[in-house]
Amino acid sequence: MARRVLSLILAQLNMNFAISHSRYYYLKKRQRLWEPVLIALAIGSLAATLGVGIYKAASYYYSTSAAIGQGAVTLTLGILLAQVLVAILGFVLVIAVFYFSNDLGILIPLPLRPAEVLAGKFAVILANEYVGLAVFVIPVLVAYGVHAGVSGVPYVLSSVLVFLALPVVPLIIAAVPAILLMRVAGLSRRKDTLAMIGGFLFVAVVVLFQFLVQTKAPGIGEEAEFLAKMLAGANSLVDVVGARFPPSIWATRALAGAGTLQGLYSLVLFLGAGVLAFVALLVIGDRVFYQGVLGGFEAGARRGARPTGKVQEAARYPSRSPVASLALVEMKLFTRTPVYVLNGFTGFVMFPVMFVAMFFAKRDPQIARLWDAFLSAPGLAAVGALVIGAYFFVLAAMSSIPFTAFSREGKRHIWIQRALPASGRTVALGKAVAAEIMIVLGAIPGVAVLEYVVRLPLASVATGIVLGIISSFTLCISGVLFDMWRPMLNWTDPQKAVKSNLNVVAGMLIGLAVIAVLGGAASLFVKFGLPAWSVVAGIGGVLIAILAAEMKLLGALADRMWGALEG
Amino acid sequence: MSEVSLLRLEGVSKTYRGATKPAVDNLSLEVRAGEIFGFLGPNGAGKTTTIKMVVGLLRPDRGTIVANGHDVAVDPVAAKADTGYVPDNPDLYDRLTGIEYLNLVADVFGVPQAERKRRIGELLGMFELGPAVGDIIQSYSHGMKQKLALTGALLHDPAVFILDEPMVGLDPRASRLFKDMMRSHCEKGHTVFFSTHILEVAERLCDRVGIINRGRLIACGTVEELRERRKQADETLEDIFLELTEPGEAK
Ligand SMILES: Nc1ncnc2c1ncn2[C@@H]1O[C@H](COP(=O)(O)OP(=O)(O)OP(=O)(O)O)[C@@H](O)[C@H]1O
Ligand SMILES: [Mg+2]
Repeated sequence: MARRVLSLILAQLNMNFAISHSRYYYLKKRQRLWEPVLIALAIGSLAATLGVGIYKAASYYYSTSAAIGQGAVTLTLGILLAQVLVAILGFVLVIAVFYFSNDLGILIPLPLRPAEVLAGKFAVILANEYVGLAVFVIPVLVAYGVHAGVSGVPYVLSSVLVFLALPVVPLIIAAVPAILLMRVAGLSRRKDTLAMIGGFLFVAVVVLFQFLVQTKAPGIGEEAEFLAKMLAGANSLVDVVGARFPPSIWATRALAGAGTLQGLYSLVLFLGAGVLAFVALLVIGDRVFYQGVLGGFEAGARRGARPTGKVQEAARYPSRSPVASLALVEMKLFTRTPVYVLNGFTGFVMFPVMFVAMFFAKRDPQIARLWDAFLSAPGLAAVGALVIGAYFFVLAAMSSIPFTAFSREGKRHIWIQRALPASGRTVALGKAVAAEIMIVLGAIPGVAVLEYVVRLPLASVATGIVLGIISSFTLCISGVLFDMWRPMLNWTDPQKAVKSNLNVVAGMLIGLAVIAVLGGAASLFVKFGLPAWSVVAGIGGVLIAILAAEMKLLGALADRMWGALEG
Repeated sequence: MSEVSLLRLEGVSKTYRGATKPAVDNLSLEVRAGEIFGFLGPNGAGKTTTIKMVVGLLRPDRGTIVANGHDVAVDPVAAKADTGYVPDNPDLYDRLTGIEYLNLVADVFGVPQAERKRRIGELLGMFELGPAVGDIIQSYSHGMKQKLALTGALLHDPAVFILDEPMVGLDPRASRLFKDMMRSHCEKGHTVFFSTHILEVAERLCDRVGIINRGRLIACGTVEELRERRKQADETLEDIFLELTEPGEAK
């Protein structure tokens, strides 16, 4: 049995990291060899930058906390933060991998127990988590090890074990509600909708929770004071945090006391908690996992209802222009795929929740002072318009919708539009328009909350929305073109098209760069005393110029790229 | 049968990136108006590759393909507008309903409203797909998906109708219907080009057949002509096919 599960896990990992595929693609066929090198370089440098930054932050944090004899707090916070992150992202990942992967149809007929399949899938998620966690957690572990002067080999050994066990418990905390939700959703005809709503609720709750914890946490420069206060009480900070989530304190003690008996005891506790949680997951999963999956196989057909009516309906549809028709289909496909919605629309939910949280934080006198300063600033109306415009743009950059427009078609479906008599320009425009509509609609809640909080004049909201529509459309077009140039078509699960797609990262970087340049320029001009509204007009002009240039580019490139895009 | 050629391939070659041997090697053939052309060959011979080049999904390395007077490489949109295509494994958008898919196709092909209504009603009725057309495609059986793909490909009454192994997955009734439909499609002066492994169908249905092996067209003509060329009057198409494509045989 163990061997069976092992080979299942190995096959899953192979597929997940596309090992066989990459070997075939890059080594056997020797095509585009520069690609993996370039990608590795880009990711490597990004990871290195992040890692160094985190190392520095952790070192700083250590020096502050060690001053009052609480150095281990660095570990606790690092581990806790990493675990919260795993839990947030875990929910969506679990739903995607457990319920919406294409190989389930192959795995379920195999003579495997549900728990075994679950274990295989869990291993895949875990492996993905390690890749990301390495960047965040290893610098913290190294920083502590270097500064705290711990004994070498035991610390390294404990570090490795703690790192490996780190994501297990939080992932299971996310996985159990996800499995139960899908079990319930499987009973319903609207299971996709339920999955999406559940996912958003989870995100909203965690964001709110995070915010509440943060407003209670010390501000910059106050740590020492805060820690001293904590120390004055009977408990150390480690215990305070640990009381809420014991595994993080076990991990801390296991590391800080590496090589001692107490450390060993904590390590055993930490690993034991992981094992126990895993067993619990398997026990629950063995009972309810397949029921949820099987529910997903039934497509909810309404066969027989008004048979001829549906054909008549065809005639009721007005014929649309190709671009409109393609855009409509694009939106339907996106919004009907839970994994896409959970990934692409998260920002639409997260930001309004954050704005609300910020609103409540106004009660804090310090934050309230900041707010008042901001609200009474001259030119607020114009700045507000810029902020709203930027909000649309940030949503577009974060949503991943435009930058996966072609990738989402995948090898399976790209032929459909390629065989239609639509030029590359038409297809790209259809996808860009669809992305734009979804982003603009998704921006409405955030703008509404923002307006409720800040109470900008109508003219500035209207200007902001116009700016936002233009700015997000520039990103939609560039995103669609980028994804047309090098789409990721070779995925097995739709989830990969949006989650493991480097084009998404490219989109975020492009968005970040543009916003840094435009935002920097705008604030400079305002500082130099230019009338704020003229800056708004200037930015608007620049955006329109960019848009015009992009349309030209679209006309020049899209048809050629469309022809070259061989599934 | 007229002399107008609706589909013409001239010296078409394609080598997949990284492959050592071409999948299609200097292939030339012509399909005339009113003609059903059967494209035969063993597994891996290059049929699908050829068809994908014809419908613009793959770009040939060399050679030209002209569909209804439009060079596929020069004016792909015009060529596609006159072509209907059903792949060997029609993977349609699972999350659209049948009618949503058909409307997309009709919109992009620019099929006018009244025409659209008539054709959709006719084709769905013929394939008995009417009751399912409001359901999402995910809920369809393999054959139903194929019928929907066929319906989509025929909506605009294409001059050139290209099918990759169309008979796989169709039940006997649908298969018969489909054969009748190919015939009537040709009687309108259009042309049908399809690949198949079912040689009896090819023998009975096709005006002409082409046999491809390892990327090269090794025989082309009416079944009668092929027989004559081999000077064996009583051979079936199956005999001819098996002899021509025997592994190890030089040509
Ligand atoms: N995407 C691809 N990449 C690389 N090589 C391919 C690809 N598709 C097909 N080939 C190769 O091209 C050759 C021709 O394949 P093709 O699919 O055209 O054959 P076929 O005649 O359609 O076969 P079948 O009867 O099995 O459908 C084969 O050797 C195959 O391995
Ligand atoms: Mg084939």
